[in-house]
Amino acid sequence: MQPLLEVRGLTKSFGGVAALSDGRFTLQPGSVHALCGGNGAGKSTFLTIVMGIQQRDSGTIRVKGRDVTFARPSDALDAGISIIEQELSPVPAMSVAENIYLGREPVGLLGRVDFRRMNRDAQALLDQLHFNISARRLMMDLTVAELQLVEIAKALSYNAEIIIMDEPTSALGEAEADQLFAAVARLKEQGKGIIYVSHRLSEIFGIADTYTVFRDGRFIDSGAVADVTRDRLIEMIVGRPLTEEFAKTNTPTDETVFTLRGLNTAGWVRDVSLDLRRGEIVALYGLMGSGRSEIFERLFGLGSDEGGEITLFGERVHLSTPKEAIDRGLAFVTEDRKGSGLNLMASVRDNICMARLDELSPLGVMRRRREVSAAAQMIEAFGIRTPNDRIDVSGLSGGNQQKVVLGKWFLTQPKILLLDEPTRGVDVGAKREIYRVMSEFAQGGGAVIMVSSETDEVLGMADRVVVMRDGRVSGEVARKDMSAAALLHLAA
Amino acid sequence: MNTKAASSQGYKALAADFGQKYGILMALVLVCVILSFLSEFFLTQRNITNVLRQASVNGILAIGMTFVILTRGIDLSVGSVAALAGVVAASLATTSTTAGVDGAPHAVAIALGAGILAGIAAGWVNGVLVAYFNVPAFVTTLGMLSAARGLTLLYSGGRPVPSLTPEFRFIGTGDILGIPMPIILFGLVFLLAYLVLSATRFGRHVYAAGGNPHAARVSGINVKRVRMLVYIISGGLAGLAGMVLAARTGSALPQAGVAFELDAIAAVVIGGTSLSGGVGRVSGTLLGALLISVVNNGLDLMGVQSFYQQIVKGMLIVGAVMLDQARHKHA
Amino acid sequence: MKTLLKTVTVAGVLMGSTAAVAQDVPRVGAAVYGLQAEFMQIWAAALEEHPAVTEGVVDITIFDGRYDALVQQEQFETMITQGFDAIIFVPIDIEAGAAAVEAAHAAGIPVVGSNTRVNSDLLLSYVGSDDVVSGRMQAEIVLEQIGCEGGVVILEGPIGQSAQIERLEGNMQALAECPDVTVLEQQTANWSRGEAQTLMENWLTRHGDNIQGVIGQNDEMALGAIEAIRAAGLDVNDFAISGIDGVTDALLAVQAGDMASILQDGAAQAQGALDVALAAVIEGYEPMSAIWEQYEDMPWNAGQDAEYNVPWTPVTLDNVEDLLSMRQ
Repeated sequence: MQPLLEVRGLTKSFGGVAALSDGRFTLQPGSVHALCGGNGAGKSTFLTIVMGIQQRDSGTIRVKGRDVTFARPSDALDAGISIIEQELSPVPAMSVAENIYLGREPVGLLGRVDFRRMNRDAQALLDQLHFNISARRLMMDLTVAELQLVEIAKALSYNAEIIIMDEPTSALGEAEADQLFAAVARLKEQGKGIIYVSHRLSEIFGIADTYTVFRDGRFIDSGAVADVTRDRLIEMIVGRPLTEEFAKTNTPTDETVFTLRGLNTAGWVRDVSLDLRRGEIVALYGLMGSGRSEIFERLFGLGSDEGGEITLFGERVHLSTPKEAIDRGLAFVTEDRKGSGLNLMASVRDNICMARLDELSPLGVMRRRREVSAAAQMIEAFGIRTPNDRIDVSGLSGGNQQKVVLGKWFLTQPKILLLDEPTRGVDVGAKREIYRVMSEFAQGGGAVIMVSSETDEVLGMADRVVVMRDGRVSGEVARKDMSAAALLHLAA
Repeated sequence: MNTKAASSQGYKALAADFGQKYGILMALVLVCVILSFLSEFFLTQRNITNVLRQASVNGILAIGMTFVILTRGIDLSVGSVAALAGVVAASLATTSTTAGVDGAPHAVAIALGAGILAGIAAGWVNGVLVAYFNVPAFVTTLGMLSAARGLTLLYSGGRPVPSLTPEFRFIGTGDILGIPMPIILFGLVFLLAYLVLSATRFGRHVYAAGGNPHAARVSGINVKRVRMLVYIISGGLAGLAGMVLAARTGSALPQAGVAFELDAIAAVVIGGTSLSGGVGRVSGTLLGALLISVVNNGLDLMGVQSFYQQIVKGMLIVGAVMLDQARHKHA
Repeated sequence: MKTLLKTVTVAGVLMGSTAAVAQDVPRVGAAVYGLQAEFMQIWAAALEEHPAVTEGVVDITIFDGRYDALVQQEQFETMITQGFDAIIFVPIDIEAGAAAVEAAHAAGIPVVGSNTRVNSDLLLSYVGSDDVVSGRMQAEIVLEQIGCEGGVVILEGPIGQSAQIERLEGNMQALAECPDVTVLEQQTANWSRGEAQTLMENWLTRHGDNIQGVIGQNDEMALGAIEAIRAAGLDVNDFAISGIDGVTDALLAVQAGDMASILQDGAAQAQGALDVALAAVIEGYEPMSAIWEQYEDMPWNAGQDAEYNVPWTPVTLDNVEDLLSMRQ
């Protein structure tokens, strides 16, 4: 069969440094091809060239056997290549149909937009894909998953043959992700080729037919997903053999350090009770919107207090402001690193010091030497790869950014760690580092509550799982009884 | 973005970063060199004093504005608040009974204190509305721009408050060791602001609250309080600027300070502070205010029509923001 | 302060209950460009102190145009709708005011101009002062002081405003008679004291001792120049300085011997305009204001003249005390 896309020997340098030195890729029609690699592997550079955003230095790109050169993104679009970006940019106040046909609205008499035709065409497109979305709804009323489906429909409206999906599930819950996977399967049936980029190995093994691994700007290997093991794939991505993905070294004690009794918050999360022991990692598991994040927000003084008791080391506490929570020894690694974890405008040092400013500034005056040593200590402890602590944190990779967030919180010397999706959007190598940190923290006398949508991660790391459903605790599973089926049964 | 790609663009980024950090300083030096060739008077001691003195009122306002803009806010009311503080202070320091207010000369400290308090009060109202009632800063301070002006006219009956006491006029026309008071006050305010922003906890709070308010809040920073305080600082400094202006002109005019907010914002923006918050330095603002003043002065010295001054200022503002954009592109 | 409050109250009463005002007393509206400056405050106060107003012969309402031609246009529409008997008009803009006058004229309402001209031949009459004359007078004072030789600078009003154009014309007429005088600088300071101060500081740097005279087209700018001279450590008495308008600060400066000013009698302009308006509304009306006796050069002529020129009064040490006492 003739491949849809065939790329050979693609190279690209920036200012003398090679970002991509041997890009190789073959996409067959009717298949899902996973493009794997850590941060800095050259995936982004590869994709931007294929999409016509950047120009290659050398190499060939063939679409359906024809050599092509893309001078600009619209050239790639014309050749049938579309992308569903990680961060969607819809026009919120416009309808689904208007967004799909943005910039190329069908026009009728005197240049008037023919809304009837536009809505009809858009609806036909959505129905054909079995997407249960009305073309007349406004984008702002859709869920993130639905937005992505609209984006897919838009790609197909350009008659795209090749669809690139860049971390499409990063903002989705499990149920929503399933909806997306169903759509991907349908595209496959229609003979489209899908390039699927994701850090989540379970997804790759779930939906991809073939894989290609890049590392350090080079092609490493390619083949059928069925022929590769999970460990082997990780090894290729990271570049060294791995002993174990989840480095769990902690053992829970019997000493209860933190208890919740009948906690209510956010207007709909009700009667949450939980015990946390020293040395323990407890996972809060549940679908998106089950109330997991709301509990964290309440515990950190960010959500509303609607009753319930919180006991910390035997003492009744209120935790009504973030400052109080921090002073009591809590730390909160939020789900949205860029939205609420980091100040992207500031340096690595300033970010690390952000939650500890009071102690670094006796009488309100900052002690620069203390700041420098605090930052150096955390950079060392977490192995943050950065040329120095004065560069903007936005210049670091996702994994290193996440380590900066961890550094910020460990500087406060917390006793209890709240982790909300701690490994979202970080590569496999950095994930392992984060797991190691969690384990060591618990082993060292701390306690961890973790929210995660990744079942593998929960199964790998948690000593106990508390499952949430519709704002209430629906059950608890001990480590010995844990299985994906058991968790899902309680969550759904 | 690929880390390798990012580091390989290092040269451009470095150049842009350098341009951002020192661009205004270079522009200022360049303009000064050119002007010293074009006008023999430019580098005279008297003219340098003039430039600094002319920059001081706008400079003081712009320093307050820097705090506000760093937290992603804007304060459009500084000109009106300056006028309000001017007439309030002047009414307590006038020997005239012909004014619209029944003024009486009091100890200069009372007059100065009342002016600052008037500014702080206006800033407090702005701050509370922005921080605790979530009214957008643009709207809040636009309202204050109008309200403070109305209050000023009401208080003064629309008439200037003349015949200020010599003690009061000292802050505008006096000097210490030959350095005019407006320059000394401008310098003190700058120094204090510089220290606060670069070396205090509150300074870090301002940058964090502007860079990412959510992250700052999660990190235990009382973002609302920080927001309120920056408007109070801006209001207080507007009060000081208004009194310096009144003391300089010898009379507090209720119409004073119209459109001053625009020059203050221009100085901040030219100085490299980002309107989206979190990034910027008060030293940039100082240079921005000086650059505006130097250009105006130079064009006056060359006998160029004032219309050109406005054109040049417009180009400066846009040029500075282009520099800012170039930097963000490469970061 | 009192003036402002009174204006607000009168306006408020009128807006609220127009019907309540008895029909037998004629209603006259005064549309002024803005009440923020002292000069218009004096103008408005004089209007309200006109004997015809205090004795209840006429009912007046003052509309603050807030320095916006459009606002003034709308206020005219309001007055036409409410059926005012006459309108006194002080426009912000010489051109934009014409449409408003036309609308009132079409509705049969007489419009009397005051203080500032409007480019319309539909005005019933105009009561103001000739700016060319004042420009000439102020320049002559400066030129006489410097002995018709040396260097002078001119601080202009906003370019294009009728007062700036006409006062400059007067300045130039006087300067033409002194060919040995050089105009070193001529720039706008937009009627503003602060702007004039900055300009003058820079001019002093550039021209130093060569500046002997300062012609400020209004008092505020002349006062700004005085502050600049002081700030430069120079003696104000070494300069010949003149302004126009006679605002309180300028009167004080004249008293101190720092400058010369020419009083524009806003009070006379306001009261004169009201008398002319009433002559058109009330048959056989005799002027009630004292100004007609005060200014013998301006005969009443039964209120029928197309233009009344209120004479300018140079402020001197002799009359400054009296003028100041009137401002209390």
